[in-house]
Amino acid sequence: MRTMLKVSLVVLAVVALPLAASAQQLFDFNGQAVLPGGVGGALTMYSQVFDASPATTPIPLDFADYEFTLVVTDLVLDADGFTQHYSGGTVTLYQDDLTAADFGNLPTFTDGTAILVGTITALSRTLFPTGIGSVTGSVDWSGGTRLDDIAPQDQTDWGFFSGTNNGVNQTLPGFDEQWDGKIEPREPIVDDAAMSFGSVKALFQ
Amino acid sequence: MDRLGLSKCVLAVLLTVAAALPAGAQMANIDYIGYAFETGGLLPSNAGDELTLVAVASNADPVFEVDLGAYELTFHAGGLISTGEVLDGSTTVIHYTGGMLEIYQDGSQDADWGLNPPNAVSPATFTDGELFFRGEFSSFTLYFAPGGYGTFEGTLSALDGTMIDGSCSDCVYTWAGAFLSGAGAQNPAGYDLQTDGGFQIDSTVATETASWGSVKALFSN
Repeated sequence: MRTMLKVSLVVLAVVALPLAASAQQLFDFNGQAVLPGGVGGALTMYSQVFDASPATTPIPLDFADYEFTLVVTDLVLDADGFTQHYSGGTVTLYQDDLTAADFGNLPTFTDGTAILVGTITALSRTLFPTGIGSVTGSVDWSGGTRLDDIAPQDQTDWGFFSGTNNGVNQTLPGFDEQWDGKIEPREPIVDDAAMSFGSVKALFQ
Repeated sequence: MDRLGLSKCVLAVLLTVAAALPAGAQMANIDYIGYAFETGGLLPSNAGDELTLVAVASNADPVFEVDLGAYELTFHAGGLISTGEVLDGSTTVIHYTGGMLEIYQDGSQDADWGLNPPNAVSPATFTDGELFFRGEFSSFTLYFAPGGYGTFEGTLSALDGTMIDGSCSDCVYTWAGAFLSGAGAQNPAGYDLQTDGGFQIDSTVATETASWGSVKALFSN
């Protein structure tokens, strides 16, 4: 009976996979960052996550009933310059149905359930002459209540990508930059694999 | 109140709110994600190449009064003509001339980037629905950092659309964002860049301090 259940699930997955394989997957965020004072200091960023349909989130998120926030902490500046290099930060995706995120009350960004927790393995931030900039980095997910929704082989080397703007009309009091970006797998994490039914059965023998 | 009247009212409130914001406050913003392609590809960007961006809003400030659960806001920026790339230090800078940005409010929610644009669905599914905003670019610049990522920023003057009316001729809008290029960026085949950014009201008509009596006097003649 257990084998039958597994086969049913696999067949169901094979039917569903082609629909998802072509969709763009990302966690879209918009937030505010505090920059470090110098090398060795830490960057923090607080943001809200939005539904970027028709793109999808890499794991299903219930935007109708919950608010999702993305917070970066302890991201250490290793090298300064036109392009800054960071490492070692923690990124956490929270789910919350109680308090609305408020940039004037930062605990409202971290008071939910940590559904994904990851490490920023590396991140570069480049500031262009007009005060706008760009951030690119990588994330390894390693914790959170929804970590198991991502297959182990898909939990590492996600892209962290953001635009930055330090204009006075972009930053809120107490922050240095607006960040508008996304975290995404390098490829859609549910892949499509053609397989004969005999091959599927062989997996369970 | 008819729809046009309501739109004008919304705009008036929008302008009032924007003008009243203190320095340092955020401007009204529509957040978007999307993709871009240029004739001949990027990089290089040769003089005369045309850049096209198609995007979908993921969030809009409440002041815009658009229910993104029922409508999509789609963006189509086209007619941006490259003046050719130049190297500024390690940054590749591309200035563009011309170009228009259109935003559509569409209940069909059919936006689809497809593959190898232009194609049957792109830009077509980003230009259907009701015209929400149309503006012409007064500037547009794209900055490429080494490594294939960067940012862009453009300023716009509004022309028409339900979001604006004739009294908004002094408004300046900003269309900005960051991009990634190359493999591994989840770019649908045929697109050169994936983009993430915002459309903002950058400045509004100037404010002037006046007493209530002097305001009433304006209408008493």
